[in-house]
Amino acid sequence: MRSPSGPDTGSRSVAALQQIALLLAILLAWYFASGNLLPAFYISDPVSVAKVIGRWIADGSLWLHIGTSMLTLFLGYAIGATLGIAFGLLLGMKPDLEEMLAPFIAAIYGLPKVALLPLFVIAFGIGLLSKVMLVASVVVFLLFYATLSGVRDIDRDMIDGLRLMGAKEDEITRKVRFPAILPWIYTGLRTSIGYALTTTVVAEALSSNRGLGFLIEHSAAQFNAAGVFAAVVVLLVVSSLIMIPLGMLEKRAGSR
Amino acid sequence: MKMTAAQKIHTQPDMAQITLENVTVEFTSRALTVKAVDSISLDIRQGEFVALVGPSGCGKSTALNMIAGLLKPSAGSVTYAGAPVAGPNTRVGYMTQKDTLLPWRTVEDNIAIAFELRARKAEAANARERVREMIELVGLAGFERHYPAELSGGMRKRAALARMLIYEPETLLLDEPFGALDAQLRLVMQQELLRLVERRKMTVVLVTHDLEEAVALADRVVVFTSRPGRIRMMRDIDFARPRVPEKLRFTPEFGAICEELWRELREEVAKSVAHHA
Repeated sequence: MRSPSGPDTGSRSVAALQQIALLLAILLAWYFASGNLLPAFYISDPVSVAKVIGRWIADGSLWLHIGTSMLTLFLGYAIGATLGIAFGLLLGMKPDLEEMLAPFIAAIYGLPKVALLPLFVIAFGIGLLSKVMLVASVVVFLLFYATLSGVRDIDRDMIDGLRLMGAKEDEITRKVRFPAILPWIYTGLRTSIGYALTTTVVAEALSSNRGLGFLIEHSAAQFNAAGVFAAVVVLLVVSSLIMIPLGMLEKRAGSR
Repeated sequence: MKMTAAQKIHTQPDMAQITLENVTVEFTSRALTVKAVDSISLDIRQGEFVALVGPSGCGKSTALNMIAGLLKPSAGSVTYAGAPVAGPNTRVGYMTQKDTLLPWRTVEDNIAIAFELRARKAEAANARERVREMIELVGLAGFERHYPAELSGGMRKRAALARMLIYEPETLLLDEPFGALDAQLRLVMQQELLRLVERRKMTVVLVTHDLEEAVALADRVVVFTSRPGRIRMMRDIDFARPRVPEKLRFTPEFGAICEELWRELREEVAKSVAHHA
């Protein structure tokens, strides 16, 4: 039987127990496979990984790397999202201009941005800024297309109705366009955070001396499997934590 | 051309509020051109209630779109209060067939939206009170905080009607305003509309499929031909105002006018059906 309000608290706690059990099973399987089924050199083992993480916490390097990655991620994300939404709104309201620019935008969108990293390093230096701009260059297109689709999806009659009441363009933007594209923006924000994180990590792995991407690359270069896995586990936790608030935001917008 | 049109207005005793002169509308999609309206001319006096009837696709809604300034005629001219209509006509209230309520606003906030606009700020005095009255008038009391998606089609229509009526535009363009309502509610709403229109001396252009509705409410019924829409005939309806449609309906004159109009209309409907077959 299905209840209208979704799973009740009883079955939810059962599910939580099952999830914990599954996690333990995976860790145990990993522990026993290491050195028996597969060489520990490649897959390390949970205990060594935990020790590495413990060491990073103890010497404080974990926070430095997480902090660097998060700073890159959120700066790039914020810049890219702001520009993307602005351009999406602008071109959504000027279809002629949009049509003229469309092939150019599509061409640059299709280009794998990571390939531009060397150019960005030349332009913005080896430091944080080049990575921030790379992340922004990925996010800007995703938010641009999300916003543009949102603006195009707006019922023309809704706008005309307000226009006949005497609404000016800025009032139509505030009272119709913004609220109408909000769900599209939420979706865009949620999907692009994953791309932003990927770009951050890859950029750090390619050219950086700090950040989670650097940590993975650095450990791998030293054939330190425990270090690679430790960095991946940290990344896993961080990315899960980032996703939670965005998911809630979208659920709230979707409930209308 | 323009001069004579202007002169005509000044020399007319009843000033024409809306004038369509030899208006033709063609829609082009791909290589196909469809003539929706074929050189219609129509004068609507200030304070007059005109009903447009005709088979589906005869260009009645197109005529409303032109008066509202949302559509430019391919040929001919549309004049409102002596000036050519160029761009959205903010002196009309337009209730389209499809309701255009904002889905993220409650009924109450949808109805009040006109008062949030700079253009209507002056009229926003005791807006709260007027919104409440209007909600009561259209029978949506108790649904103030509901979102459009939570309402039935008929309720959304009534909310849209309230949203248009609340700022009391001098001219109402109504496209099948009561189409989605059940028969009883339709009678009530017709009466309410008449009451408001007669009190405020509004000019009304009503598009409807319902001949009885047209005869009961309008001063003049215009019968359109099937596509391309032309004016087949006009009939003045001389019932005294204020009118009570529910009573009017049972008089022999009412039946006779409806029958007369229906004879004209049925031929056009038959033609349009033959077209589609």
